[in-house]
Amino acid sequence: MLTVVLFFLFFSLFLYVLLAGADFGGGIIELFSSPKNQEKTKQTIYRVMGPIWEANHIWIIILIVILWIGFPQYFNIFVVYLHIPITLMLLGITIRGLAFIFRHYDAIKGKSQGSYNTLFKLGSILSPLFLGVIFGGLVGGNINLFSENPNLSFKEIYIDGWFNIFSLLIGLFYITLCAFIASNFLIGEASDENELNLYRKKASYSTIVLVLIGFIILLYGYFNEIAFVIDFIENKYSIIAVAISGIVLIPLWKMIKLKRKAWARILAGVQVLLVVSAAMLAHFPDVIITSTKEISILDGVAPDSVIQILAIALIIGGSIILPGLFHLMKSFQLIKLFK
Amino acid sequence: MENLEAARLQMAITLIFHIVFACIGMVMPFFMVISHYKWLKTRKEIYLKLTKAWQRGVAIFFVTGAVSGTALSFELGLLWPEFMKHAGPIIGMPFSLEGAAFFVEAIALGFYLYGWKKLPEKFHWFTGIIIGISGVMSGILVVAANGWMNAPSGFTYENGVFSNINPIEAMLNAAWFTQALHMTLAAFVATGFAVAGIHAYQVYKGRNVELHKKAFRIAIIFAAIAALLQPISGDISAKDVAERQPAKLAALEAHYETEKGAPLYIGGIVDEENQEVTHKIEIPKALSFLAFGDFDAEVKGLNDFPEDEQPPVAIVHYAFQIMVGIGTLLAIVGLFYLLSLKWKKWQNHRKFWLLFTLMAPLGYIALEAGWIVTEVGRQPWIIYQVMKTKDAVTPMPGIFYSLITYTGIYIVLTCVVSWLLARQIKVLNQNEA
Repeated sequence: MLTVVLFFLFFSLFLYVLLAGADFGGGIIELFSSPKNQEKTKQTIYRVMGPIWEANHIWIIILIVILWIGFPQYFNIFVVYLHIPITLMLLGITIRGLAFIFRHYDAIKGKSQGSYNTLFKLGSILSPLFLGVIFGGLVGGNINLFSENPNLSFKEIYIDGWFNIFSLLIGLFYITLCAFIASNFLIGEASDENELNLYRKKASYSTIVLVLIGFIILLYGYFNEIAFVIDFIENKYSIIAVAISGIVLIPLWKMIKLKRKAWARILAGVQVLLVVSAAMLAHFPDVIITSTKEISILDGVAPDSVIQILAIALIIGGSIILPGLFHLMKSFQLIKLFK
Repeated sequence: MENLEAARLQMAITLIFHIVFACIGMVMPFFMVISHYKWLKTRKEIYLKLTKAWQRGVAIFFVTGAVSGTALSFELGLLWPEFMKHAGPIIGMPFSLEGAAFFVEAIALGFYLYGWKKLPEKFHWFTGIIIGISGVMSGILVVAANGWMNAPSGFTYENGVFSNINPIEAMLNAAWFTQALHMTLAAFVATGFAVAGIHAYQVYKGRNVELHKKAFRIAIIFAAIAALLQPISGDISAKDVAERQPAKLAALEAHYETEKGAPLYIGGIVDEENQEVTHKIEIPKALSFLAFGDFDAEVKGLNDFPEDEQPPVAIVHYAFQIMVGIGTLLAIVGLFYLLSLKWKKWQNHRKFWLLFTLMAPLGYIALEAGWIVTEVGRQPWIIYQVMKTKDAVTPMPGIFYSLITYTGIYIVLTCVVSWLLARQIKVLNQNEA
C-alpha cells in the first residue's frame, strides 16, 4: 500500500511539474517576447490552457496533502526549515492567480491590462524560481538542524539552507524547464507561420539553456562536493535517465519539424518525466540532505492503518478524477492523439 | 508581538478571508444552475445573461478560493508544524477526500465555463450541478477536520504518543455532523443574503430592474429557507457543545460560577477581571433549558476549570451574541420575504429593497462571529484536551513579518475581487441601457 501512496506522490509531483510548468512557462515566454508577439502568445495560452487552468494547480494541493498525511516527519522538516522560500513561492502563486483573474475577468478591458500583465510575468518567474530553490534546499546539504546544535543563529537555521548558489541554480533550471515545456506545447497551437516560428525559436533557446544549466549544476555540485550531485552522477539509473532524455531530444526536434504535434507533446512530456525521475532516483528514499545527515522520506512514515486508507482514498479519488480530467482535456482538444 | 500571538492572528485572518471566498464558491453555483435551468426552459434571454454574469462571479471566487486555499494548505504546516506532525495522519482522511472533491469541482468548472455551445446542453447544465455539489462536499469535509479538533477521536494518546490511529473514526468524530450542518446552512444564509442584497441595491437604485429582480428572487429563496432552518441547527450545536465542551459553553455565555437553573445572558459587558457581566438582560433558567433541555440542569462555570484551561471570555461572549442576534434577525427577515410572496404589494415599496440591501453583509458577519466562537472558545487547546496551541506553533521566530505579508496579500485580494465585481455589475447594467 505504501507503494501506491508513493506512486501517487510521484505522479502528482510529475503532473505538477509538467502542467503547472507549462502554465508558468507561458508567462515566461510572454516575458521574453517582443511586445507585438506578447498579445498573441497571451491569447494562445488562454485559449489552450484556459479550460484546465484551475485543475493544473490543484496537483500541488494533492501533493502537499499526501506528504502531511503519509510522511509527517518529512513534512515537518520541510515546513520548519524551508518556511521562508515556501512563503515566497506562495507569494508568487498568489500574485499569478490574482493577475490571471484580472486578465480574464475584468469586464472592462482597458489600460489596466498592462499592470496585470506585469504581475502575471512576475508571478510566472517567482513561483518556479522558489519551487526550484525549495527542492535545491531539500537536497543541497545546507540545512542545519537545530536539534543537533541549539546555538545556531536564525540565519544558519532558516536562511543558509536554501539561500545559496546550488538552490538558485536549481531554481533557474526549473524556470528554463517551464519555458521548454510551454514552448514545445505551444508549437502545436500556433495559428500562423509567424507564431509557429516564434515558438520554435523559444523551444530551441530553452533547450540549449536547459542543457547548459544542467551541466553547470553538475559541475558546480561535483567540485563543491554536494552529496546529491555526486550521488546523482554515481547512480546508474539517474545517469541512464539523463542520457535517454538527451537522446530523446533528437526525435523531439524531428517531430516538431514534421509538425506532428501529438508526438512532440508526448516526447516533451517524456523529457520532463525523465528529468523528474532522475532527480528522484538519485537519492531515493533520502530526499532530505542536511549538513550532517541524510533523512529518508520513509523515516517516520505514518502508521499502516493510515497508509492503507490513504491508498484507498487515492485510488478511489484517482479513478474519479483522472477519467474526468482526461475527458476535459479531450473535449477541449488538448489531447489530440485519438482523432 | 509574541510568535504565538502572531501565528494565531495570521491563521485567524487567513481563515476569515478564505471562508468568505470558499462559501461564495460553494453556494453561488446553485444560483447559477437555477438561472441556467430557467434559460433552458423558457429561452428568455434575460436568464442567459444572468447565468453568464453569475458564472463570472463563480469563476472569480473559485480562482481566489483556490489561491487562498493553496496558501492555507501550506500555512497549516508552516505555522503549526507540531500539530500537523501528529494530527496530519489522523485527520488526513477528510483532507484527502476534500482534495478529490475540490479537483472534481475544478474539472466540472472547466467543462462549464468553456462548454457553452460546445457540449450537449443538458450535459453542460449538469456540470454546473457537479460544481455545486462538490463544492458543498469540500466544505463539509474541511469542517469535519475542524470537528476533530473539537472532538478528537480515532486514536489513543498516551505519554505524548499518538497510536492506534483510525482515520475513519477520526473523520466521523462526534462534532462533524452538527458543525457541518450548521456551517452549510450558514454558507447558504450568508451568501444568499449577500447576493440578494447586492441585487436588491440595484433594484433600489432603479438600474436594470427586471434582471436584478430575477436574480434577487433566486438568491433570497435559498437564504430565507436556510435562515429559518438555522436556529434548529443552532440548538443542536449548542446542546452538543454543552455536553462535550463545557468550558466553551461557559465562555460563550460568560458564566463564571457553576449553578443549577442557570439564567441566559443576552448582551452585556464582560468584565474579565472582576468576573462579572454588567448591563445584560437575564432570562431565568433559560440557559439550563437551552443547553440541557431541563430548567434545573447544572451548568458548569468557568471557575470550575483550571485557570490554564479557560478560553478568553469576552471575545467569545460578544461573538456569540453577534452570531445569535444576527441569526435571529435574518430568520425574521427571511420569514418576511416568504410572506411577501403572498402580499405582493410589499415588494412595490422602495423600502423593501432598502431593507434587503442592508441585510447584505450581515450573514457573513454572523458566520465569522460563529467561527470566532468555535475557534477562540476551544483555546488554549488546538486539539481539545490533547495538545495546546502554544505547543504546536513553529519554532521559527519573526512570524510577525509573515503576519504582515499575509494580511497585506488578503487585503489586496479582497479589494481586487470587490472592485472586479463592481465593474462586472457596472458593465452588466450598461449593456442593458
